[in-house]
Amino acid sequence: MTKTHRTLGLCTLLGSLAIFPMQGCTDLTESPRSEIGPSNFYRNEAEVLAGLASVYAPLQAGNFATLWSYYNLSEVTTDEIIVPTRGQDWYDAGLWLEMHRQTWSASSVAGLDFINGAWNSCFGGIARANVLLDALTRLTIPNQAAVQAELRAMRGFYYYLLMDMFGGVQIVTDIEIKPRARSTRAELFDFIEAELLAARVDLPLTRPATENGRFTRGAADAILASMYLNAQVFTGTVTAAGLQPGTARWQDAVNFSDSILNSGVYSLAANFGDNFTATNDNSPENIFVAKHHNSAGLGLNFVQRALHYNQFNPSPWNGFATLAETYNAFDAADVRRQIFLIGPQVNLETGQPVTDRAGVPLVFTDTIGDANSARENEGPRILKYPPDPNHVGENNGNDYVHFRLGEIYLIKAEAQFELGNAAGALLLLNQLRARAFEPDQPLATVDRDVILRERLFELTGEAKRRQDLIRHGRFLNQWSTTMLNGKVDKNGEPYRILMPIPQPQLDANPLLVQNAGY
Amino acid sequence: MSLVRYVVPALLGGLVLWAPLAAQGTIAGQVTDASNQQGLAGVLLRIEGMSLGTQTRPDGGFTLAGVPAGTQRMRVTRIGYAPVTQEVTVSAGINTVNVVLQPQASILEPVVVTGYGTQRREAITGSVSTVSPVSADVGVLSNVNGMLQGRVAGVQLTTNNGEPGAGAQIRVRGATSISASNEPLYVIDGVPITNTEAEAAGFGIGGAPPLPRSPLNLLNPSDIGSITILKDASATAIYGSRGANGVVLIETKKGTGGGATVAYESYVATASPAKSLDVLNGDEYRQFVQDQVALHNSDPTQGLDSSYLAALGPANTDWAAAVNRTAVTNNHNLSFTGGSEATRYRASLNYMNQQGVALSSGFRRIQGRLSASHQALNNRLRFGLNVTTSQVDNDYLAYENDGGFEGGVFQNVAVFNPTQPVTVTDSTGTRFYEIGPGRQSVRNPVALAEQIQDFGTTDRTLGNLSAEYDLLTGITAQINVGVDKSGGLRQIYLPRLSPAGAEWNGLAQQVNRDNTSKTLQTMLTLSRQFGGVHNLDVVGVYEFSEHRIEEFRAEARNFVTDATGFNSLSAGSVQVTPQSFRTDERWISFIGRANYGHKERYFLTGIIRRDGRSAFGADHKWATFPGVSGSWRLSEETFFPGGTFSDMRLRIGYGVVGNPAVPPYSSLIALAATGDAKYVFGNAPVIGFRPVRNPNPNLKFERTSQVDVALDFGMWGGRVSGSLEYYVKKTTDLLLVVPVPQPAPEPNRLENVGSVRNRGIELSLDALPISRPDLTWRAGLTFAAEKNKVLELGPYTFLTTGRVSGQGQSNQVSQRIIPGEPLGTFFGPEFAGVNAQGVQTFNDYDASGQLVGTTTTPGADDHRILGNAYPDFTIGLHSEVTWGKFDLSALFRGAFGQEVFNNTALVYSTKSNALQSKNFLRDALTDPTGIREPAIYSSQWVEGASFMRLQNITVGYSFNLPGGPGSARSARVYVSGDNLLLLTGYSGLDPEVHSEVGLASRGTDYLSYPRPRTFTAGVRLAF
Repeated sequence: MTKTHRTLGLCTLLGSLAIFPMQGCTDLTESPRSEIGPSNFYRNEAEVLAGLASVYAPLQAGNFATLWSYYNLSEVTTDEIIVPTRGQDWYDAGLWLEMHRQTWSASSVAGLDFINGAWNSCFGGIARANVLLDALTRLTIPNQAAVQAELRAMRGFYYYLLMDMFGGVQIVTDIEIKPRARSTRAELFDFIEAELLAARVDLPLTRPATENGRFTRGAADAILASMYLNAQVFTGTVTAAGLQPGTARWQDAVNFSDSILNSGVYSLAANFGDNFTATNDNSPENIFVAKHHNSAGLGLNFVQRALHYNQFNPSPWNGFATLAETYNAFDAADVRRQIFLIGPQVNLETGQPVTDRAGVPLVFTDTIGDANSARENEGPRILKYPPDPNHVGENNGNDYVHFRLGEIYLIKAEAQFELGNAAGALLLLNQLRARAFEPDQPLATVDRDVILRERLFELTGEAKRRQDLIRHGRFLNQWSTTMLNGKVDKNGEPYRILMPIPQPQLDANPLLVQNAGY
Repeated sequence: MSLVRYVVPALLGGLVLWAPLAAQGTIAGQVTDASNQQGLAGVLLRIEGMSLGTQTRPDGGFTLAGVPAGTQRMRVTRIGYAPVTQEVTVSAGINTVNVVLQPQASILEPVVVTGYGTQRREAITGSVSTVSPVSADVGVLSNVNGMLQGRVAGVQLTTNNGEPGAGAQIRVRGATSISASNEPLYVIDGVPITNTEAEAAGFGIGGAPPLPRSPLNLLNPSDIGSITILKDASATAIYGSRGANGVVLIETKKGTGGGATVAYESYVATASPAKSLDVLNGDEYRQFVQDQVALHNSDPTQGLDSSYLAALGPANTDWAAAVNRTAVTNNHNLSFTGGSEATRYRASLNYMNQQGVALSSGFRRIQGRLSASHQALNNRLRFGLNVTTSQVDNDYLAYENDGGFEGGVFQNVAVFNPTQPVTVTDSTGTRFYEIGPGRQSVRNPVALAEQIQDFGTTDRTLGNLSAEYDLLTGITAQINVGVDKSGGLRQIYLPRLSPAGAEWNGLAQQVNRDNTSKTLQTMLTLSRQFGGVHNLDVVGVYEFSEHRIEEFRAEARNFVTDATGFNSLSAGSVQVTPQSFRTDERWISFIGRANYGHKERYFLTGIIRRDGRSAFGADHKWATFPGVSGSWRLSEETFFPGGTFSDMRLRIGYGVVGNPAVPPYSSLIALAATGDAKYVFGNAPVIGFRPVRNPNPNLKFERTSQVDVALDFGMWGGRVSGSLEYYVKKTTDLLLVVPVPQPAPEPNRLENVGSVRNRGIELSLDALPISRPDLTWRAGLTFAAEKNKVLELGPYTFLTTGRVSGQGQSNQVSQRIIPGEPLGTFFGPEFAGVNAQGVQTFNDYDASGQLVGTTTTPGADDHRILGNAYPDFTIGLHSEVTWGKFDLSALFRGAFGQEVFNNTALVYSTKSNALQSKNFLRDALTDPTGIREPAIYSSQWVEGASFMRLQNITVGYSFNLPGGPGSARSARVYVSGDNLLLLTGYSGLDPEVHSEVGLASRGTDYLSYPRPRTFTAGVRLAF
């Protein structure tokens, strides 16, 4: 008989006589069996690796991860992706067209869903990193400095996403849950910059294949290059009247691009499409990716988002399309236009022609007649990430690319152009374009529009468009009005270059102050 | 705590008096009915202040031996009669006493189980209702819940739908909690049971799976001896932290002693859906599409283009009829009871097999029960044993609680193309028609029902053993040990052939779930009378209980063949990572209660319970819950004028109770391996450990305080009796899952935030309008009205709830919880009409709330309060007539003033379904909304849902079998109809529905399993 049982027996006896109960009769301590307390965990490398995995996990495509929330906020709010209401389908409380028409607010459906979701998934990643960093202060593991650098860099990346969407947010490096005030956007910029600069020194340039996907010095440099490219936006202030730009950092953008270009680690993939296939972990071009795997809960589901119901097994969602003007901006000879599906369609697994639900051959059109009541077949589809031949259900093994060398060419070109080196910019743009045309169609001149257009051709579907349009002052422009069929068009208020702080967050943290204009 | 520790024993110790040994005598005589002078069987006779009693024989005669000499008070009680207390002077030898009982309006047990003991009905000071299981056990009942419907004022019970053994939403005096449970506590034979599901949840086929069936299905309704509902906090305080939502006390039938009696009961019932989804048939749909194509040909901006003709098939299928059936239920009970004065037993067996009114669904129970009691040491030592063991086999249908653009059986009944046949036959044989090969989001509903295998089997044993010893006269020590152990197995197979299983090339799941609860109670009771006018009962209790849940889940996919299904997981080539978990929790309580009565006029009850629960924060595990109540029997006072009112009693009570429903470990930080912590490094998935919750070390009990004022009355000598009650209850420290300041490992945390208030009145009336030898008529009425209000929500402006289901409804919510408004408030745009272009328009409000016109794209300013899901009042009416050998009973019940969100109509009575060659509800044909319009949630779909239902009507004939074969002494045959009549303006299938679509959500009707109309014929024989 254990002590507990003996005590219990005694309690029974005494209890039955209603005399004074003893301590053992009142023991209510909890000891979970299928969970573990943090003080008993992270004791060795394997346990630390399990903690690290959880810090990367919010990068994935699942519903509450950044590839759903951040991705959609960066794409559907622009001319790259529209999710029209298709009869009954995709109305979703007006969510998708609210994003596309830029009419969101702190408590609108997009505010409560994607905007709140992006806030929570990024901060969730930060919180997980902080829990592990906190534990690492109390223990010693072999490659401690590198793991700490990796965690700080990952935390920096989540802060980079928050800075992009919301401006300044609360900077937190401890594990206490409490209301805290926001920093300014410029302060947040400085924090991320300092973290990445400190981390990059301890991060490896390359990693063995078994660690593919983990943070490298190149990844830190790519984020820094992107931050410097957007420095005027990221260190500026946004009022109801719009952006008051901060200091430009073009030379830093060039320097950190060069750090990557000269590292000897990366090279452009021979085929543009190789960067996005299910085997793209072999791509020499990809610098920082969100890893995916063809097993339950770990796969990329972009195939589902774009394809028609009958084009794949499992049946896709027939949602995401692009605008005719975006598709038509591409040169017919540009291999990068092959990311679009348009015209007569086949089943991507069997290659057989498919029909729509009414039974007639499925033909994707370039235009969408009315975004409020589109047909099943309207709108070209972006299929940059082709199906994984070994997909398991919705789970495709393609890694999603956050940064790749192609973009570094574009960052450096744009920074050089802004520094007055148009020739250098043109050279880089044409080096990148060479892969896209057979025979070559080099550009003859360069200006800001050319650079923005080239970024569209190269990076469509890579969640860069919102950032690019804001940097180029085009985010608030009207999309094609014919498509919107005379219905309410986007508002175009200048403060919408920042997302509102979602209402639940304002409720939970009274120290937060809403962005100007909202 | 110290109060219980010291005061109770002191109280007990101080009042102990030795009873002197004395001479004994025997009381004998007969009890008769005042209306017809017939002898009355089953009358309880008890000598007050001692555990000495007996029951009358069939002729009304009785003998009670061993009564101490002197003046004794003998209490004579029987259900349906006014109790009598008679003074008897006992001397050695036989003392003859005859008693006459007056029939009464209420057919209620005179002795009421009130938790940790019983009380005489007149002495009860709290708000306590009882249900007579005899009159409530009519029609087809799969569990005790059905017996509560319409019979108790203030208890609102909504069965989720018409599925056999369906779960129910039960609210005792409304909902007080927002995110913690609102389910009452069930106590069976003194042992509190946890209402945890015995089987794992099902596998959602394109939406959340159906709600679980009732965990109370283990108990056969005909084994129930009494049901008591403790409603106010002064009564439920005895259950302390578990009492906030009311307490349902169930006592099972016990052995009666005396000669053996065997009873056999059986019924057979047929059921069919009372109403089916009204969708277009094949010919109508074909015509609709052809008309739309013709329209398009004359005006290309309208209608459907000719491509839609391609989806039309040659058939004319009514998918609702194809999925529904006339279902048969068989039920058999065999019970026997007997024993001696010292040892009594009752044993029973039950077999019930209930088919669902939809294909491939049903419920089967095999249950055995044994109850035994034994007295020893001259009745000073008493043992009791109750064991129920049951096997419940559930055959589940793949339908939906909510869902997106794919769906289960009922969604496809609504949308599947009616011009297509159920099956097709070609050279390869006959198979179900599907719109295409492989996985499809639109699926043949008959095929779904027939092909998907989903079974649950629960073996559950509930037992308790008690021993009672009279330490001294009036002082009894008791120990009660209870065990509740269930093993549930859920088995699911989605075949390769099915469009729902094709994605995985076959998917099989087996989930084991074991629940174990152990309870130990030790109790000391004291019962004394002194000075001739004072009655005191005191009870002290220590209670310990432990609950464990263990679950193990295995899944395989990619099967070579459908033949082995879930029986051979190794036949699937893809093995999904198995999952398991275990949770433990522990409760410890100290309870004290004192009942004091003075001159049968003044009664006072005081309760104090100190509760500890492991799941709360370290400094908040313990809490104290007091209750105090008193009653004053005005009619016993000399100043009481009498006249019409023969009995009048005023009751006042106050108490504080808690709601403990938080998951174990909520106050602790812990890491666990979860799916969303996994990541891929290199090419291999890596198990991730992450903090799984935001710990809240300050987490504590949610507290509800309640004041109750009541007037109980009897008129015309008990021909009419009733009670009128008013209560106010306020819940504070609401357990609420709320967003936390970021960064945090999780977006939300369980916190104690906000408060909710309920105020209500309840009236119950019983009448005995006719009481003649050959004709009696009893009638009863229950009425309850309640107002609920969310008083505050801490810093939160509002919480959204009530997810809307259906294609194109992601992120749409139908309800908000708003301070100042009741729970269940519908919130959305106000429908203004349809404009000339067929576009829906809504009232347009500016930022200041002024109505400025209409809009086609409602924004945040245009969302308004649209209604409320809580009824203004509910009523129940029951009537029982006995005329010679015939009896007739009827139960009506209704609820008025509530709204229901008709989610089914929102999504499926929209013509735009035809854009995807889907069918829709007939109402859409006359709806001016254009064919390209999406379904938009608005006030259009929030409907008044007041209703009145004829719940049951039963006609019976009782007779004595002439001495034929065997020795059957009495028999009754009856026919019964359930759900025969429903009066409502609600346009959906049934206004009484419940889908689980978020926090404190209520009143959402989404494709519910149709409620059956049932006819039953039964027989009861007693030997």
